[in-house]
Amino acid sequence: MALFSFLDRDKSVAHAGFSRWLVPPAALAIHLAIGQVYAFSVFKIPLTQLIGISKSVDGDWKQTQIAWIFSLAIAILGLSAATFGEWLEGAGPRKAMFASAVCFALGFFISYLGVATHQLWLLYVGYGFVGGIGLGLGYISPVSTLIKWFPDRPGLATGMAIMGFGGGAMIGSPLAVKLMGHFRSATDAGVGETFLVMGTLYFLFMMFGVFSIRVPAEGWKPAHWTAAVKPAAMITTHDVEVNTAFGTPQFWLLWIILCTNVTAGIGIIEQASPMIQELFKGTISPVAAGGFVGLLSIFNMGGRFLWSSISDYIGRKPTYFIFLALGAVLYWVLPLTGANHLNSVFLFVSIAAILISMYGGGFATIPAYLRDMFGTHHVSAIHGRLLTAWSVAGVAGPVLVNYMRESQLQHGVAKDAAYQSVLHFMVGLLVIGFVANLMVRPVAEKYWISGSTGR
Amino acid sequence: MGNDSNSRKSPAVRLLVAWTIVGVPLAWGVYNTLLNSLKLFQ
Repeated sequence: MALFSFLDRDKSVAHAGFSRWLVPPAALAIHLAIGQVYAFSVFKIPLTQLIGISKSVDGDWKQTQIAWIFSLAIAILGLSAATFGEWLEGAGPRKAMFASAVCFALGFFISYLGVATHQLWLLYVGYGFVGGIGLGLGYISPVSTLIKWFPDRPGLATGMAIMGFGGGAMIGSPLAVKLMGHFRSATDAGVGETFLVMGTLYFLFMMFGVFSIRVPAEGWKPAHWTAAVKPAAMITTHDVEVNTAFGTPQFWLLWIILCTNVTAGIGIIEQASPMIQELFKGTISPVAAGGFVGLLSIFNMGGRFLWSSISDYIGRKPTYFIFLALGAVLYWVLPLTGANHLNSVFLFVSIAAILISMYGGGFATIPAYLRDMFGTHHVSAIHGRLLTAWSVAGVAGPVLVNYMRESQLQHGVAKDAAYQSVLHFMVGLLVIGFVANLMVRPVAEKYWISGSTGR
Repeated sequence: MGNDSNSRKSPAVRLLVAWTIVGVPLAWGVYNTLLNSLKLFQ
């Protein structure tokens, strides 16, 4: 359609002299918006009080029903990234970002209808399904573009964007709280109007990304940069097509690495508040525990930028060795910092902060690792398929953690001691990830697209 | 072709505006989170 022709890839090719430093803000606009999903928990209580307003009454939705909205959104994120990644490579980042913005905003608007008519299925369809598609499209849309703009520092480039996903909750949470406070009245919890305003604001914010994103012209390279004549052993000089990559051992090894790293991180995120309170009973109040959760989100965001930037200098494989080996040691030590052992809140908080930075770093460094293995040609599509590891970890991780903990408690294990088993189980997962990383080798020549350059 | 060195530069003001549009909300979010995290040390 001519009306939307500005979304075409050829309309977004950068003019000569365009600064590549304008691309990360475009990517950030998308990731800061869709990162709001991690702040969805602020709606949990208000959504259970839509009828009772000040408290839940008969007919109000239950928290367990509300929890499915977030789980559905994350599951659809991975599935849509895997499904639409190949389309994105052809359509270009602008079209994909636009589709992401429409879906994400539409998710809020459908959810508004769900709140207004008190029909929960509309929230599942709206925020969970339609919004989830927006999340998946938005998450992968700027990745290959950034890597093409920053062939000299792909880790830094993707780290900047994916840092936004970590930071999105920091904006989404206080924004939602303030809006709900503004719209709240004696007869209205203020959630519906908040959905309408947030959908509109996020759509406009994402439009900044849509209109400012540019792809580099064919053959463009940064000034004063030339590709290494003899590239590093773990960085390919060829491209691999997405369906071919899907059948390589490297893809599945990276899938295992991401899945184990994310599952372990969720072990902390899921239990952060109760864990610190129970390990330091009588010392840490619920309010202080809330502060601890906030601190972790800062390290989650910072780790995304820091670790992926470091990976440009030390290499992707060594970076994951750090995540998985240091992570395993720190997960082992973490429960020993509690009141019954070392009794050091400082040590506990410091270790948890490092662990969560490596959780974020794992997300941010994986696109550059994929680029090293499979080239830039289909990197977004391959990244999209790899994100199914996140879907699996996002659903299985909390279930695993809660099940293990419940099982321990039922067998008479003390609350603080139960964490030890859970965290030590995470050590096992990270060891599996470590072995998988050890097995990663350059992709065999038979998988390469003939005549490709990998850049 | 399209090399940075032989072509016109994007204006610095455009860079400033772009980074401000995303930087201000992010800084506001980080500030709010930092305020919240201070409760851990009180």
